[in-house]
Amino acid sequence: MNSTDHNGRTEQMEIDASAKWPVLVFFGSAVLWLILGGALELAAAIQLHTPTFLATCEWFTHGRLAPAAQNALVYGWGFNAAFAVGLWLMARLSATTLRHGGWLFVAAKFWNVGVTLGVAGILAGYSTSFELLEMPRFVTFLLLAAYALVGVWAVTTFSIRNTENVFASQWYLFGAAFWFPWLYAVAQLMLFRSPVRGVLQPVVNAWYVHGLYGLWFVPVALAAAYYLLPKILGKSISNYYLAPLAFWWFAISTAFAGGSRLIGAPVPVWIPALGTVANFMLVIPVVLIGLNLFGTLSGRYASLNGSVTLRFVLVSMLAFVLGAVFNFALSFRGIAEVAQFTLLSGLRDWLVFYACFSTAMFGAAYFILPRLTGHEWRSPALVKIHLGTTVLGVVLLTAGLTWGGWQQGNLLNDPALSFTDVSKAMTFWFTYRTGGLAVLLLGHAAFLVNFAFIACPFNLSGAAPAQINPPPALEVLKA
Amino acid sequence: MKNGLALFLGVFAALALSWAGLLLAAQQQLGRLGQFKDPTDDTLYPQPMSGLANQGRLVYQDLGCATCHTQQVRREGFGSDLARKWGQRGSYARDYIRDESVHLGSSRVGPDLRNAGNTELHAGVDAEYFYKLLYAPASVAPGSMMPAHAFLFDVHPVAGRQPSAQALKLPSKFSPGPGLEVVPTTRAQALVAYLQSLKDTYDYPIERSRNAPAEKPKEGGH
Repeated sequence: MNSTDHNGRTEQMEIDASAKWPVLVFFGSAVLWLILGGALELAAAIQLHTPTFLATCEWFTHGRLAPAAQNALVYGWGFNAAFAVGLWLMARLSATTLRHGGWLFVAAKFWNVGVTLGVAGILAGYSTSFELLEMPRFVTFLLLAAYALVGVWAVTTFSIRNTENVFASQWYLFGAAFWFPWLYAVAQLMLFRSPVRGVLQPVVNAWYVHGLYGLWFVPVALAAAYYLLPKILGKSISNYYLAPLAFWWFAISTAFAGGSRLIGAPVPVWIPALGTVANFMLVIPVVLIGLNLFGTLSGRYASLNGSVTLRFVLVSMLAFVLGAVFNFALSFRGIAEVAQFTLLSGLRDWLVFYACFSTAMFGAAYFILPRLTGHEWRSPALVKIHLGTTVLGVVLLTAGLTWGGWQQGNLLNDPALSFTDVSKAMTFWFTYRTGGLAVLLLGHAAFLVNFAFIACPFNLSGAAPAQINPPPALEVLKA
Repeated sequence: MKNGLALFLGVFAALALSWAGLLLAAQQQLGRLGQFKDPTDDTLYPQPMSGLANQGRLVYQDLGCATCHTQQVRREGFGSDLARKWGQRGSYARDYIRDESVHLGSSRVGPDLRNAGNTELHAGVDAEYFYKLLYAPASVAPGSMMPAHAFLFDVHPVAGRQPSAQALKLPSKFSPGPGLEVVPTTRAQALVAYLQSLKDTYDYPIERSRNAPAEKPKEGGH
């Protein structure tokens, strides 16, 4: 028994060694984009309550700055982080090394050049003004080519797996690896290459945006949660037999849910209706996934004290449920009547992208990076700051913007109030939002410092290999 | 689940289904939506956009106006868009077939613009109004939180040349200074032409009947 255990450890070390540099390069780019995107986002947020801020410079007018920030965060931070965590998870779970990792550097290079050109393009005035597809058309090919390399690596690693069984995380990663390029390519074709006419364009856009959040970012976050929870707790996923049902149900319903963004829009009414139905259907997989994840955690809440990763994953899981609740609630006509076009509709996507996906990536980083580099996190205080600001920021923004957004919707629906009065009343909430984003940015800066130390190859002070407690053995070793 | 092929086929089917069921079906239903010929005045509606307005649409895109402005009027009984004078009726799908790119928008930090150029709703809203709004929003809309778009204008001294006919007549508080005039660039002219073209004044008989609330059944009449 001991020798298999030992073999397992050696194998893991080989896998980690093969994944080390690709993961560090992707994660390093991700963290830089997180800071840059966060700074742009903060500047755009300031403009909402101080319209003169950077207004004289055409490159930084709010209409360009806000989408540029969003694109930097989604394609810069989100994708790079998802690549890093996804590739490592796939290699670990398939019990095989990442072969020919050099190609992944090429992919990272192309991807980041693409995102840089795209964000600069938006600022320079080449935006298409389609949500999350604002980047000028010339970067599309660059992004798809770079993505193809990463996607092929993930799928190849999966197909040469040395394991009998395929774990839940692998389904989600495998699915996401295929869904993103299809969503992106179809959206590009139907909006730019041979554009559909009239209101079909917003339908395609809604389908893409919802798919990007629901079928790319959420699956990667779930894959991380499904892996990290049992690994850290030393306990298999409870009610695991429900996981396949949850996966398929989740995928099919999410794919149809995009129409719910168009309630009340001038499109055939069956499109939002279908989205509403899909969001109702999503209740079941969300409950099943909750049973899996929270069931695993139940009774072990004491372990949260010992693990930063677990705490980030817990935030992510709570946000996953809350994000589904928001999508569900915004599907009701009565609620959408007030909430759509306000801070609330932005909050819905932010919950999925930041509070669910990004926190899962932070958690995964705190787990993965010490294992890859053999270093410890340089400053436990900075880790605490990062965790503290993330929790604080997520709670502040979620609670505040829900309240503020609801108020905004009610003010907008009161025709007795002039639009200027609505703007004036909202100034407080826009300022509040700036504060929340600043808190988060502070945490990101703390994370950047720690990351720089752990990733630096000449890290002499922390040269002693980190003492990583081996994860507790699984209680149940069923196939 | 152990079978990679089954997983692949399932993953493929999940997205392909929604593509066919949502996008293809919508294309099938709306892809050929055409202009409507009014039987009384023999004119096709919606009327095509002028070339300058279409260039303005590109400026609207590159400045990202859709970040804060929607272009969709919600119908009676769903929000108070009509009471806010954002339109005379809810928007129809047919209104948008003249637009090469459609930006319904998802945020109302600013007002809806679908009828920004509709003088039946906003009397006195002319090109000069939009120029002033873009150059110095507070000059025409006091208390507005819209950022100024002064970079769409040329400011140059009047001395030694004929004053431009297009120079803005700004109150001294907003004027850049004595002896200077503010002239819209061609991009500003295109953008304003686009904004002025935003008006859905024609009410299509087909859509009106199709979107009217169903008549209530008589009481007791089952």
